[in-house]
Amino acid sequence: MIISISVPSKPEASDTKAGSSVVTPGELITDDPTWMRGHGTYFLNDKTYSSVAGTVLKVNKLLSVVPFKGRYSPETGDHLVGRIIDVGQKRWKVDIGGEHDAVLMLGSVNLPGGILRRKSESDELQMRNFLKEGDLLNAEVQSLFSDGSASLHTRSLKYGKLRNGVFVAVPSKLIVRAKNHSHDLPGNVSIILGVNGYCWIYKTPLSSAADHSASTAKTNAELSSAASGNYQPGQGSVSITRLEQESSWDIYSDKNDALSASIKDTISRYKNCLLSLSQCNIGINEIRLVRAYEISLGYGDTNLLFREEVRQSIGEDVIAQEKMRGAG
Amino acid sequence: MSRLELYSPEGLRVDGRRWNELRRFECQINTHPNAADGSSYVQQGNSKVLCLVKGPMEHGANLAAGTKLDPNGPVLSLNINYPPFASNERKKRPKNDRRLQEISIILKRCFMKTIVLKNYSRTAIDINLTVLAMDGGLLACFCNAITLALIDAGISLYDYVSAVSVGLYDQTPLLDMNALEENDLSFVTIGVVGDSDKLNLTLCEDKLPLDKLERLISLGIEGCHRLKELMDLQVRVAGGQLQERQ
Amino acid sequence: MVRDYDISNNEKQFVLAALEQNIRLDGRKLLQMRDVHISVSRDEYGYAEVSLGKTKVACRVTAEITKPYEDRPFDGIFQISTDISPICSPFFESGLTTGSKQSNDEILISRLIEKAVRRSGALDLESLCIIAGSKCWAVRADLQFLNYDGNFIDISSIAVMVALLHFRKPDMEIDGNNVILFDEDQRNPVPLSILHIPLCFTFQFYNPNDDEENIKGNLNNELILLDANLLEERLSLGSMTLTINKNKELCQMVKCGGLNIDASMIMNCCQHASNLVDDLTRKINDVIKKDSELRKNPVEKELQVVNQRET
Repeated sequence: MIISISVPSKPEASDTKAGSSVVTPGELITDDPTWMRGHGTYFLNDKTYSSVAGTVLKVNKLLSVVPFKGRYSPETGDHLVGRIIDVGQKRWKVDIGGEHDAVLMLGSVNLPGGILRRKSESDELQMRNFLKEGDLLNAEVQSLFSDGSASLHTRSLKYGKLRNGVFVAVPSKLIVRAKNHSHDLPGNVSIILGVNGYCWIYKTPLSSAADHSASTAKTNAELSSAASGNYQPGQGSVSITRLEQESSWDIYSDKNDALSASIKDTISRYKNCLLSLSQCNIGINEIRLVRAYEISLGYGDTNLLFREEVRQSIGEDVIAQEKMRGAG
Repeated sequence: MSRLELYSPEGLRVDGRRWNELRRFECQINTHPNAADGSSYVQQGNSKVLCLVKGPMEHGANLAAGTKLDPNGPVLSLNINYPPFASNERKKRPKNDRRLQEISIILKRCFMKTIVLKNYSRTAIDINLTVLAMDGGLLACFCNAITLALIDAGISLYDYVSAVSVGLYDQTPLLDMNALEENDLSFVTIGVVGDSDKLNLTLCEDKLPLDKLERLISLGIEGCHRLKELMDLQVRVAGGQLQERQ
Repeated sequence: MVRDYDISNNEKQFVLAALEQNIRLDGRKLLQMRDVHISVSRDEYGYAEVSLGKTKVACRVTAEITKPYEDRPFDGIFQISTDISPICSPFFESGLTTGSKQSNDEILISRLIEKAVRRSGALDLESLCIIAGSKCWAVRADLQFLNYDGNFIDISSIAVMVALLHFRKPDMEIDGNNVILFDEDQRNPVPLSILHIPLCFTFQFYNPNDDEENIKGNLNNELILLDANLLEERLSLGSMTLTINKNKELCQMVKCGGLNIDASMIMNCCQHASNLVDDLTRKINDVIKKDSELRKNPVEKELQVVNQRET
């Protein structure tokens, strides 16, 4: 029986010969039994088939398929942004945008009063005072359970509750893994690019702003309004040392600092830049984000950046610039 | 009822196709990248269906309170949205339409055998189907749309499930029926796994002579294989686009 | 929440291992049905009790005169009610008292019976019309599930068909816009016009291999069972219901997902079902014929009337 419909001929014939070959569910990858079968595959007898649409990845003798899209799957050491969704017995449940919720044990957070403080029952009873449902935090994956869910910890100064900013979610696939995922950006704004695709853009805290201000001063020229503002948020608290800060209740405070309009404007501009990159499917790292930010300044008012075509063209400009610099 | 000539002596159907021709099949994936983990849009002739897949996740929105997550595999929940404007008669459908309930059970059971269960213990997968326009082949469109959306969500599947309806006009089997043909002829919807001859779902609700069944099924299987090819092509194109700039 | 029927792992393995050797726990062959027992009521019309092994169902057919649906003025009304109460098994919840959502199985059972009998046009709806647009017969079949040991669908289709064949509606005359109904003693009641007898056959599928083999392999050694009992039904990985009548017409074929089965094996199932349908139809007709012969015997009827007067 012949089903006669004209269809464009398969274009992937040429692609498959290139380094990364694309496979779709049910497709035979190899009938060589010596390969070890990794994620995204299943096998019958000697034959290994793909179970997702993605590219074949061969590492030594391990064969796996990396899907084009998919939920974030945590790995030990990943720097994440998450949201508390449940407070339980000695643990918090954290939504990290993965298949499973992560847990944050009471024992793996810094509590007010210093690292050496013993955890008592009264801490268990007042867990909601530290972190409660809806709070955002950044943390690191400490270990993984057998089903792939993660256990987090916040035992470092750079982790903990998030304040003074906005939350942006982008596909986790777009975040380029790097050594460092928290960056201070021009405009007195910092960002945490969570490996899980959850990002947090916030006002650079004063302590780090001080070391950073010299480097950002030049790029800040056009934002002089921010610098010239008389009001310096949190001016009174500068004297608190880092050690004190850590041991105080401040790290679990729910109160945002007062933010100036210009900081808010910058934060929202960064947010739109992040979304522009995401819309254009561009891998996100610090350099590209700053570049997108610089380009976006040319488009004028922040309000315009909500428009889809503006975002698209920002993304394309980033790519074009990258090509130019790469060539030059 | 008006007597339409559903199959002319010259071998043409109401919409000008021959007996073994599919309707124009168009599909897209990743249509709603921000609203769901996986999304697809399927158009078979004038039937248009949207599918959004959320998950796998630990807290399903459609999950009834108290439903426990299964340690052996995902909990699928399926929600069909069939608005009054989608079909010819603008009839308001009762909330628990038995026919849609049955279809959703069939689809649920179909995909529970297609998803690689062991990868998704203690998770929930929500599937939302929306009919934009219906011109026959309801179950077939649903099935194809779900397959594509699941693939787009990066969920492990053993293989594609493609479905098509096949009807019988007198002695002639007709592939991929539209609403006019479905009204007057009996038909069977079949869903095929990948490139095999294995049937995952069959649904026939009208009288058919038993001796004709084999021809219908074999034509249907051919049609399904063709659809699978078309879907595969689209998945590869979309995958290439996603990859391009990363 | 009703607890599901729990089967221990041992029991499960035992049953499946036996099935792989073509042995069923009750000694049947894989594609053999349990014996069907049909009994109909002697002294009233439209009541049948059918049992299939331990599964037991009763069906009562009643009729009344109402107004037809506005969009179908020339047709009568036929309804099948299938309310599965906890009487037959604690696995079913009473929908009326709790108002809870029906389980998937319950929805499927009622849908499949509905499609097998009503949609396939077993009952001639046009013959139920009395005066177009204003009066028609509304026939109602109430299924009562008495005991559950698997395979409600097949047995229900038998029960509804027997009860419909057994039913007699009062004879009547039309006088202008009035309808005159006659008592049983005045005129013999008339049977419904039944066009064909659709019967359901439900096959269950089992997989002796793993899922990968089922999808990609070509062993095609999936096991197929006809008329599963409760235990087998709970262990099955997929099912298919065929509805066939004596004229070898397929009225319904529903395979609700589940295990993937090669097309050729499905064709074999159809063939097998079409062989069985003759026997079963004959059995049903015999029961009906025997009943009507008993009723025809005027002496017996006379005696019955006398008996009634005396009591």
